[in-house]
Amino acid sequence: MKKFLMIMACLLSFSIQASPDSKPFAEKRIVLQISDPDPFKQTLVLNVANNLINHYGQDKVDIEIVAFGPGLRLLFRENANVDRIDGLTNSGVQFSACENTIKGMTKQLGHAPQLNPSAVHVSAGVVRIIDLVGEGYQLIKP
Amino acid sequence: MKHIKVFKTTMIASVVMSGLSVSSASQAANWLMLQGTEPAAAAGRAKVWGFIQAQYQKDQSDAGPTPSGEGYIPPKLIGPNLNSQQQFNVNRARLGVRGIGMPLDSRVNYFLLAEFGNNGITAPGGGDAHLTDASITINTDATRIRAGLFKIPGPEETLQAIHVFDYINFSEVSNQLMLERFPQSVDTFQGATDTPDASMGQYSRALGAVRDVGVQLFDSFQSADWDHSYAVMLGNGNGLNFGDNDDNLDTYLYWSSEMQFGGKGPRAEGLKLFAWNHSGKRTNAYNKTQEQDRKRSGVGVKYLQKPFRATFEYMQGDGMIFQGQHRPTMVFNDEEADGYYVDFGYYIPNTNWELDLRIDSYTRGENFIHPVNATLNSAASDESTFDKTTIGAQYHINKKTRINMEYSDRSFESDTATVNAQLEGVGARMAVQLTHIF
Repeated sequence: MKKFLMIMACLLSFSIQASPDSKPFAEKRIVLQISDPDPFKQTLVLNVANNLINHYGQDKVDIEIVAFGPGLRLLFRENANVDRIDGLTNSGVQFSACENTIKGMTKQLGHAPQLNPSAVHVSAGVVRIIDLVGEGYQLIKP
Repeated sequence: MKHIKVFKTTMIASVVMSGLSVSSASQAANWLMLQGTEPAAAAGRAKVWGFIQAQYQKDQSDAGPTPSGEGYIPPKLIGPNLNSQQQFNVNRARLGVRGIGMPLDSRVNYFLLAEFGNNGITAPGGGDAHLTDASITINTDATRIRAGLFKIPGPEETLQAIHVFDYINFSEVSNQLMLERFPQSVDTFQGATDTPDASMGQYSRALGAVRDVGVQLFDSFQSADWDHSYAVMLGNGNGLNFGDNDDNLDTYLYWSSEMQFGGKGPRAEGLKLFAWNHSGKRTNAYNKTQEQDRKRSGVGVKYLQKPFRATFEYMQGDGMIFQGQHRPTMVFNDEEADGYYVDFGYYIPNTNWELDLRIDSYTRGENFIHPVNATLNSAASDESTFDKTTIGAQYHINKKTRINMEYSDRSFESDTATVNAQLEGVGARMAVQLTHIF
């Protein structure tokens, strides 16, 4: 039973780790940055991701949305856009949450913010963007 | 063992998450939620907003055909000043701010709005501005708690945001039964006048604007395709006045169930059923030893799926039945009243035009006391009936700007001879209004 659970946990962990190989037929690789406190930017970044998928096709574009700073609120568990985030996640979009921001917000709140389970934790949002750009992703900040 | 704990935690979190995702989607055309909450984790610290309404109204009433008792009374004059039968007016100019003070914590949000226009809120007492909303909402897992000054849960016509109201003037039942006036002991009786240029507005305090200061528990939850909402409120029963003027508190109860068809915000489409009840007492401003019941209740249904809209509301009241803007001394009564309206709207496809038709009727117990001749007083069973048919059109210049045009044919009558003589002269009224929301 213990082994089974460990295997399941590993599989689950593997399944939510995005990598360039997760969409082997992707012709475009795009990282979207959300770091703005303006709530309208949340809608905008989700619209852009949706439009990219509609334009290129789900399998032809690899999209990662990196949230840090005030933009991390997009990935809060109670976020009003949760249905749209779920839909994009099902379309293969990865949502990355900055650990540094989480630590900062934890200090302000007195507890860690509860995040959307679809969110993948990355050590630093900016570093994640730099790494992805280094791997050939195009950075877009709506 | 640690893995089992993690697994369990993940599963529980997933279950909780799925529940939250359903409930967070239930905003729809739900005035309780639209006015009392903010989108979780997606609202700003302070969103400045407001709207301006500029209008022109012309009344075609005359003094009345009968040789005695006729004259000009408030329904024949344009409010709030009630000293003319036509006027341009900036009847609403509201500026507000709303949001989540600490954006990281969606459990608390606020709503602040002030009126700078010329209407029944600002004109009495000669003020230039008046706060209409100042509330804080605390969102918990069990319920939401809203405290401060805000709209009371009630009829759709008055609970809805006024800047998306499909007409310029309210139905008679909402105007007379729901828009509470608050007389002061200095407010006096004003008889009908021979000419339409005497001010008939005898109230010195702002009307209630269907608002109160108090605390409200409310929430909304989804079951299949239905969005259910409730509100339970306790308030001062003193309208826009911050404090209370007696020891009586009002209770407000509200329930709505809406089948959602789609869309979001004020124009969300759906079929909504609702019922509400208000109960309170008022101390007589002219006799502090006397208290009077003020009870209201109603039911209604609203259907909106473009290009069609239809609404029906029925309301009734016991005690404290409004007797006219010129007769504040008579409002502390034990009369009864009821009324309804039906409204139809048609959005002309592929255009920016909307057509509107509303038929409303209101009957109240009459309480007229002639200042000189007691034989002209109302009999105990006398009633007055106010029938109105309004046709209108709206042209949407863009999503934030529209022009309303309406024409109301009115037929008012009373069992009380003197009142009937005054009401006989009530004629049609036309109005044009430009609204811009920012």
